[in-house]
Amino acid sequence: MSRRVFRIPLAVISLVVGLAWVVVGLSAQGGGAPASPAPRGTNGQPSTSRGEWPHYNADLKGTRYSPLDQINASNFSKLEVAWRFKTDNFGPFPEYKLEGTPLMVNGVLYTTAGTRRSVIALDAKTGELIWAHSYREGRRAAVAPRQLSGRGVSYWTDGKGDERVLYITTGYRLIALNAKTGAMINSFGTGGVVDLKVGVVKGVNQQIDLETGEIGVHSTPTVAGNVVIIGAAMREGATVETHDNTKGLVRAFDARTGKLLWRFNTIPPRGEFGNDTWEEESWAYNGNVGVWNQPTVDEELGLVYLPVETPSSDYYGGHRPGNNLFAESIVAVDLKTGVRRWHYQLVHHPIWNFDMPAAPILADVVVDGKPRKVVAQLTKQAWVYVLDRATGVPIWPIVERPVPQSDVPGEKTSPTQPHVTKPPAYARNVLKVPEDLIDFTPDLRAKALEIIKRYKLADTPFNPGILGDVKGMLGAIVPGTATNWPGGAYDPETHTLFAPAGNTPGSRSLVAPPTGFSDIRYVSGIAGRPFVEVWGPGDCCSADAGVVNRENLPQRYAPPAGSPPAPPVPGLNVDGLPIVKPPYGLLAAIDLDRGELLWQTPHGDTPDNVRNHPALKGMNIPKTGQTGTAGVGMVVTKTLVVMGDAQITSPPGRPRGAMLRAYDKKTGEQVGALLMPAIQSGSPMTYMVDGKQYLLVAVSGGNYSGEYLAFALPDAGQGGQAR
Amino acid sequence: MNHEAREGLEAKTSAAQRAVNAGGFLIVVAFVASVVSVSLAAAASVWDGVYTEEQAKRGEEIYYQRCGACHGPSLEGGDMTSALVGGVFTSTWNDLALSELVERIRITMPLNQPSTLSRQQTVDVTAFLLKSNKWPAGETELPRELEPLKDIQIQAIKP
Repeated sequence: MSRRVFRIPLAVISLVVGLAWVVVGLSAQGGGAPASPAPRGTNGQPSTSRGEWPHYNADLKGTRYSPLDQINASNFSKLEVAWRFKTDNFGPFPEYKLEGTPLMVNGVLYTTAGTRRSVIALDAKTGELIWAHSYREGRRAAVAPRQLSGRGVSYWTDGKGDERVLYITTGYRLIALNAKTGAMINSFGTGGVVDLKVGVVKGVNQQIDLETGEIGVHSTPTVAGNVVIIGAAMREGATVETHDNTKGLVRAFDARTGKLLWRFNTIPPRGEFGNDTWEEESWAYNGNVGVWNQPTVDEELGLVYLPVETPSSDYYGGHRPGNNLFAESIVAVDLKTGVRRWHYQLVHHPIWNFDMPAAPILADVVVDGKPRKVVAQLTKQAWVYVLDRATGVPIWPIVERPVPQSDVPGEKTSPTQPHVTKPPAYARNVLKVPEDLIDFTPDLRAKALEIIKRYKLADTPFNPGILGDVKGMLGAIVPGTATNWPGGAYDPETHTLFAPAGNTPGSRSLVAPPTGFSDIRYVSGIAGRPFVEVWGPGDCCSADAGVVNRENLPQRYAPPAGSPPAPPVPGLNVDGLPIVKPPYGLLAAIDLDRGELLWQTPHGDTPDNVRNHPALKGMNIPKTGQTGTAGVGMVVTKTLVVMGDAQITSPPGRPRGAMLRAYDKKTGEQVGALLMPAIQSGSPMTYMVDGKQYLLVAVSGGNYSGEYLAFALPDAGQGGQAR
Repeated sequence: MNHEAREGLEAKTSAAQRAVNAGGFLIVVAFVASVVSVSLAAAASVWDGVYTEEQAKRGEEIYYQRCGACHGPSLEGGDMTSALVGGVFTSTWNDLALSELVERIRITMPLNQPSTLSRQQTVDVTAFLLKSNKWPAGETELPRELEPLKDIQIQAIKP
């Protein structure tokens, strides 16, 4: 076995501002090859049918399904930690939000790690590091809007021995690596790099600055055949400085050369379809509308499904009258050309940040006795939108209904919004008062009724935000994010869609920003409260954060030192308890043949502060599930759905920690649980090597820095890597 | 170390002294070892007044300069930022040593400029967080050294 340390000479990438190192190189050709190669199919492509996990979501249809069944209901609780991989040193300081789902191809795991967003290859049996790659981008990374390790990498092979790992750096460069060595592929782009900022525009065709221009992405490239599809994300949009920020786009590149194949503009410029939905020429001076989640692909139909997000800014649309295509739409584009075939807008003139939070899932179902090819979109508003994926026509009626209109100055809301009639909402998306309010005790109910008087209600998820004021009304009640970025899963055997769901409401209010902060008339906030700029977890905190001078950072507003704390306003909780009845978070199963809910189950132990609440002493509180469940993902196998808790708890009878739970996928009954040292921060995946199935999950948060944790069944008479 | 624990230590030490007088060196070693483990087991918790009001006041100033823009004027957190008061916060840190919280802040905060609070500033901010979560103040300040902070347990519920 040869162990070499590579250092790519700077000259090789002389055109690229950056420094790339392959810090560990270990030939996979030698006698220590990580695992015996699995026989490949005729096309030489990896597949979940061989125990691999070749795409972020398992496959191009976004199912997160694996047919493995060695780990099942009878043995789930016997799983042991097979190995751990700590990611602390892939960056100058540890990461506490590790979100990756590794790929597994041919016995090797590929993923991202650390505040640098390094790429690593691990022996799937032992977790041993095979190689690591990092790319140093300096200020470009430090000011990037989507930092940290991201969601992972993508894999491409020609089936004849050329194997590549593709990923996007924090500074928005596409890099191709040799999957065997981690070395950059010199013939790809320029020295292995495609600068994704080139061609990205704001305003009217104005190239963004290659160093400081605002764009990035956490999701992985979607690789379909030789086509590499890449979306875009900008800063979190609640309190941005301008509506005229970077415009979203989706591009495809050739996996062999890095050459641009096509481009789709999510804000159609003049002359393109949909431009007229930006009234008063507002397309010209508005931005965002990225595709930050994972596109999915139907290779037979030759279509790519784009989950398109919100325009600038998230909660105020006064600077962009009109429906604003293709914001908050599913757009199907041709895999070869990028030309739009159809689109379906879920929210007109978006002002709720109901951006597509999950990969559109492709399912082959049977509706009314007829086989149908559908696309199913899980959402923050707890509806699953089910469309014919060849035509974009809804499978069950989605009805335009009148909705309440905004009274915020300058805002012109859409008179109607599409309402899903089937399947039913898989979590609470309208707050019913009083019946949904907490009722553990009459006193708690009375307090809830008092608090809720200060919020505006509606019988639709499309309740427009109000100008909140600490002395008056505080906000409009909206769905509090049912499903977020991890998305759900789909079982192709039973035609069941699984959705993680937050089940507590949110509130939306607007305020004029501090003088000089923004050219947007209203941003998220409440009058009478100090202004709080909303920063996303990826808006900052890169490996190179320390090299940024404070003056170079966007201005942040903090109250002057020594100013007294603002008076607290009653949020949507009563004495520290959520204002609604449990469950606070759940897992839902939806029958996609019939458009019906199969089951819902609370997900996660009852939080400590609920279980120990003095007002509930002596009461028998059923399992409540947890807030934050919108942020955990899952894997579905032959028999199980596996998903981790969103919160740490310390109930009697076990040490503090978060559980990784297995549910019977047919009934929703919990059939096993494993204690983890931190919450699941990246969605789990599963794979098989040499006859052994592994379950792998990224954990981090609180005191626990990022770690990939692999579970397997204990070998009879063998301790394995005891930890 | 709180007052009770110190008393316990003295009692054990004199027991060890008696063992020396009895002439058993190995026994002394065993006793000293037990003293160490006993003093750890009897470690303080955040309910024992492990910071001072004055320290929390210093921490409050730092909080509003360096932390409040993201974590909010009432430590309530934001759309994307964790709350530093309330049930989710206390259960996340429950049953851990206070050193864990201090280290998390020291290493990663503020997120835009990690590791730019001094150790003293970090423990002062921590004192403010303790006060904000209604854990009581006491007579001695939180020390800035990591080792003694490992002996203070975070306990969400008063034992």
